[in-house]
Amino acid sequence: MTPSHEIEARLRETAEELLREKRVDLFLGYEKATLPFRTTPLFLTSPEEVERLAWNPFCTTNLAVYLPRLFKAPASAREAERAPPLPTVAVVLKGCDARSAIALVQERQVPREKLVLVGVACPGMVDVRKAERALGEHEALGAGEDALGNIHVVVEDGREVTLPREEIVADACLECRAPTPSLPDVLVGEPVEGKDPDGARRQTDEFASKTLDDRWAHLQDELSKCIRCNACRQACPMCYCKECLLDQTRPRWVGTSTDMSDVTIYHLVRAFHMAGRCTECGACARACSMGIDTRLLTRKLGQEVEDLYGYRSGESADVLPALSAFDMDDAQDFLTEP
Amino acid sequence: MSQTQTVQDAATDKGWEPRIATFLCNWCSYAGADLAGVSRIQYPHNIRIIRVPCSGRINPAFLLRALQNGADGVLVSGCHPGDCHYISGNLVARRKFALFKELLQYAGIEPERVQFTWVSASEGGRFAAVVEKVVEEVRKLGPNEKLVKTL
Repeated sequence: MTPSHEIEARLRETAEELLREKRVDLFLGYEKATLPFRTTPLFLTSPEEVERLAWNPFCTTNLAVYLPRLFKAPASAREAERAPPLPTVAVVLKGCDARSAIALVQERQVPREKLVLVGVACPGMVDVRKAERALGEHEALGAGEDALGNIHVVVEDGREVTLPREEIVADACLECRAPTPSLPDVLVGEPVEGKDPDGARRQTDEFASKTLDDRWAHLQDELSKCIRCNACRQACPMCYCKECLLDQTRPRWVGTSTDMSDVTIYHLVRAFHMAGRCTECGACARACSMGIDTRLLTRKLGQEVEDLYGYRSGESADVLPALSAFDMDDAQDFLTEP
Repeated sequence: MSQTQTVQDAATDKGWEPRIATFLCNWCSYAGADLAGVSRIQYPHNIRIIRVPCSGRINPAFLLRALQNGADGVLVSGCHPGDCHYISGNLVARRKFALFKELLQYAGIEPERVQFTWVSASEGGRFAAVVEKVVEEVRKLGPNEKLVKTL
């Protein structure tokens, strides 16, 4: 594992070079935030400011979420005439984020030639909630990383607490199968391996082994926390529709109430729209203020697409997404035969 | 009285009849249903037919909406693979349906509530047989209570 400060230095060099040589108009990265365990997205346009760029175990945000808005298609032919030329954007991406960016290229939301993918081999990012739980009563005032990659936290009375990284890394990172970005233009850091690549499979198998009614009860229990804030949708890099099905009012497909029927349908629709598109970055789970296990359904659908159609989103820019393609011999044993 | 008992009672004495929202593609299955009628083949009257241009037109949100609004089951039927009027609408739909059915089952909804099949314009008998089977299966499950909106 390459130490964070080395990665940070390399990122600054890369950004400085790209911006100075005017090879990109914008460099998207992370900046230290005022709160411990947090970073904020940084939009760099001048090479003088590269010192603001940061890399630490708290760079959780999937920066690919900003890409579709940077390349929005003009609304009309008239607007297209007046539209400024498309920018060239360099973006810092972890393994999962890189898959999102490639998936956006696959879905033609972002032109590949306008992107510079700065991949970072990711050792797994800290889940803020897990860290806060591990601290218990203590209040974190500052957080950093030691040479082994464990997390140092300064708590209220000035004492230092060390939290083992493995224990506070996000679930999505523990299950990650490709922490090193595939197909980057620049790769920063030594390639790393996933910690528990079979973890996701194990979880779905365990859930699927429950009875139908137990699964329903579990889902209802989990979803009963939902307040319908739509944060999971907003945070998702793959949710870029100009007008979301969930916002349509003529007809209104999905009710806006927190009635369990509406909530369940919201989550089923959201999960289904992620089928064969989700890149397992966990942005939805991080965004959820109620701590809902939003990845319960999307995880299963991703595996199902992989099993049935041998496809994982964001692995190659040249293939068609699974649900835009078909094969004459696709499985159809689910059909009702008289 | 427990909830399951109420459901059973409703199913047996009150004469509860399942209602199946049935989405048929214009080119094959709708004509197949028409043929069943024209040939005077009897099939249960529990289905409510909605004609759609192609099985590829069906957004799974339609099916959820039907279940939410009180349908006890949903049946979708399109042209056999290779027969689609739009060449590949049913083939694209097939992937959607396979995943959608799996998703519902994983989420804890009885897989018999949502059924998919192919019926061609010449298969009036097959249409009747499919409807009979679907109605029977949904009847066994009892009324749909999981997704119905009662608010």
